[in-house]
Amino acid sequence: MSNVVIAPMLVALVTAILTLVTRARPRLQRTVSLFGGGGYVVAVGVLTWRVFSGPVLTYQLSGWTAPYGITLVADQLAAFMLAMSAVVTIAALAFSTDYIEAFGQQIVYHPLFHLMVVGVTGAFLTGDIFNLFVWFEVMLMPSYVLVVFYSGPDHTRAALQYTVLNLIGSAVMLLAIGGIYATTGTLNMADLAVRLSNPEAFGITVGPVVGLAALLFAVFALKAGIVPFHFWVPSAYEAAPAPVSAMLAGVTKKVGVYAIIRLLFTVFGAAQLDLGPFGDGSMLLFFGPILLVMAIASAFLGGFGAVGQSNLDRLLAYSSIAQVGFIVLPLAIVATIPLTDGGTVAVLGGEFTVPTGAGTDGLRVLGIVAALLYALNHAVAKSLLFLVSGTINAAVGTIETDELGGLTRSRPYLSGAFLIGGLSLVGIPPLMGFFGKLTVFDTAATAMATNGTVGEIAAVTALGGAILTIAYVSKAWNDAFWGTESMAVVRATAQPLALLSIVVVLALVLVVLGIGLDPVYEGAHGAASAALDRGAYIDAVGPSYAEVQS
Amino acid sequence: MTENEPTVIARTVVRIVVPIILVTAITLLLQGHNAPGGGFIGGVLTAVAFALIYIIYGLDYFETEILGRTALPRALPGEPVEDETQQRPGVTKEFSEVLAIGLAIAAGGGIAAIALGYPFLSQAVAFVEGIPLFHEIEVASALVFDLGVYFVVVGGLLTIVAVVGAE
Amino acid sequence: MMGSVLAAGGEAGAYVPAREPQFVLAVVLGLLFALGTFLVLRRDIVRVVWGITILSQAANVYLVTMGGLAGSVPFVGHGDHGATATTDPLVQALVLTAIVIGFGTTAFALVLTYRVYEEHGTIDLTEIGDTHE
Repeated sequence: MSNVVIAPMLVALVTAILTLVTRARPRLQRTVSLFGGGGYVVAVGVLTWRVFSGPVLTYQLSGWTAPYGITLVADQLAAFMLAMSAVVTIAALAFSTDYIEAFGQQIVYHPLFHLMVVGVTGAFLTGDIFNLFVWFEVMLMPSYVLVVFYSGPDHTRAALQYTVLNLIGSAVMLLAIGGIYATTGTLNMADLAVRLSNPEAFGITVGPVVGLAALLFAVFALKAGIVPFHFWVPSAYEAAPAPVSAMLAGVTKKVGVYAIIRLLFTVFGAAQLDLGPFGDGSMLLFFGPILLVMAIASAFLGGFGAVGQSNLDRLLAYSSIAQVGFIVLPLAIVATIPLTDGGTVAVLGGEFTVPTGAGTDGLRVLGIVAALLYALNHAVAKSLLFLVSGTINAAVGTIETDELGGLTRSRPYLSGAFLIGGLSLVGIPPLMGFFGKLTVFDTAATAMATNGTVGEIAAVTALGGAILTIAYVSKAWNDAFWGTESMAVVRATAQPLALLSIVVVLALVLVVLGIGLDPVYEGAHGAASAALDRGAYIDAVGPSYAEVQS
Repeated sequence: MTENEPTVIARTVVRIVVPIILVTAITLLLQGHNAPGGGFIGGVLTAVAFALIYIIYGLDYFETEILGRTALPRALPGEPVEDETQQRPGVTKEFSEVLAIGLAIAAGGGIAAIALGYPFLSQAVAFVEGIPLFHEIEVASALVFDLGVYFVVVGGLLTIVAVVGAE
Repeated sequence: MMGSVLAAGGEAGAYVPAREPQFVLAVVLGLLFALGTFLVLRRDIVRVVWGITILSQAANVYLVTMGGLAGSVPFVGHGDHGATATTDPLVQALVLTAIVIGFGTTAFALVLTYRVYEEHGTIDLTEIGDTHE
């Protein structure tokens, strides 16, 4: 039992309260907020370091033992995601102190921002599905307000759509959780995994759990913005102010991705069931083909959508849909492949030769590593691009690409930051994005080498998606940054130095992550292994059925 | 306001009902750690009592009559204002402070457990005996958290009522 | 799916819930979800908000149903009053949490509706244009 697990959440919570109390003094409020953000980064850093150098850490809230109490579990997957979100959070927070108008900041911006961070942290750490619902709500409620009240009258409808969709999503999630509790008799994720792997011993019918897991999956896909649950993304990202868009794309979207990895791979993957034409094995096989179709649709719909946009934020939002397709593509590939050590298996009509040693260091780990590396790249690069778009908005007053042009001449640093973010999305070495894309292709190629149709489909998708990425990044670059300077650019004299410096620092982070990939790769590898090591997860939580000790 | 003056019946009923609601709310708050009730429902009931006063006696009544302050003239909706807060009753500020204090109490209660070496949000209970009339009183630390929730709910709801009601 | 969930019937244990109250609740749930969905699809924002509220309340009723209702006491009171079988208390705790969250979101949605009305002078969704639609 170590307080280091709960420290990030408490730091963010205390900061939220302090910024609420200091509302009357804006300067103090901003200082407290920034220090709180710094404290959050430190707390996450310490937790990450402890988790990566030692065993999985757990924390029983109020001292109630699992599975009765709420457990927080900090394993390497959770720590990796937390570290990723901490980088985006501090950048977005620092950006907001200069970007959001002073009065807006004073009302509720800072408390809401930190509350959102509390929700995100809780969602990454919790080991209980109902608690996951609560943290989702804690994360979403501030985001509703941030999207709605800082967006201006033009975007009310988008904000309304975002709110209504997520509220319906919450109701559906509650339904799924209630059903899972009724069928399995537990809410604790580790306990759920234990029960699902021994259904007879606990008197569970696995059938209904598949449907309920699918409901949960749909909710996570909605949060992650995967096609066909993507339609709120463009308008909401366009409506929200730049730092909030950066948080939505860089952090809350990743919570959806994390929940998919955690629940499908660690928890529901434990269930064995007969799926008829899809094969016979883990519940993952049921979600594999679905996820694959969704990933392909996301990569293409998002990519084609982005090419046609003339508003920078909207282009980035469509690109987000495409990129999340890239993130879940490797997950989909490995989910369709049954985990058997060696031998051949039939999936989707294709014969698979499963590589030996797939249990620990095989295809599945590779797939999740690819998803995590790509997620990290997308989190940093996309929030960088949104912040660049915000800086352009602050400096020039517009982000419509037909009104921009020739930014490279007057604003070389800003353009350079955009170029780095864009190239990282495209996947040019030595930037972070190159390695993300490389591992995605590697996963597809490895699957293909084992004779699978899935591998081929995935490789074609990844290739098509990559070409589309090049198309929309170069379109944005040509329209907004190259060419002759437009009237708006010539007239703009504002030099938002503070904003610019944050953007430049974030761009450097992207370069550093790419050059110094080794520890990041190690981290992703550890996180992927943790996601698949169901036994270690269950042992760490240690659901005991003895008498409750209070 | 003069055209829609509430009837004497409404005014009298509110005078009688509001204290009863408040007592019920406090009872629910106090027993909430171990019986039906708690900070949330106590807070909602308290807010309902205040909402009744607002509806029947008007927005400024609370400030002028109970707190004994002079209500500042508020800008009417649609009138140009420098700052949105001018449209709200002055007491709104206190309400949102109540919310912040409540949050601080609730979180502080949880953190206090860590400071004492227990997990976050750990609770304890003590029985104090030999008190006249009650004989035995149950002192639960969960009450602190409930109290925090109570303030958050009261503060939050009344802020909404005051802000939306003023427009 | 509904049928199979009900057939599984709450916690596996010695206590077997009766089917009748759950059947009634299943019908009520169906009606609530139908009504909620119908309202969410309306153009009037106030109706949409009501629809969401009804949907989330329906989810709450569903949760309570999952605890297994069969006329046993909802909780064991102070002292020992001889109650032996209780309904699952956890679902009630869950519902309580969900109600509090639903309460907050409903309040927010109503404030949002008011703001929409203030800014656009209408609460008809089709009349509120968007810059790109």
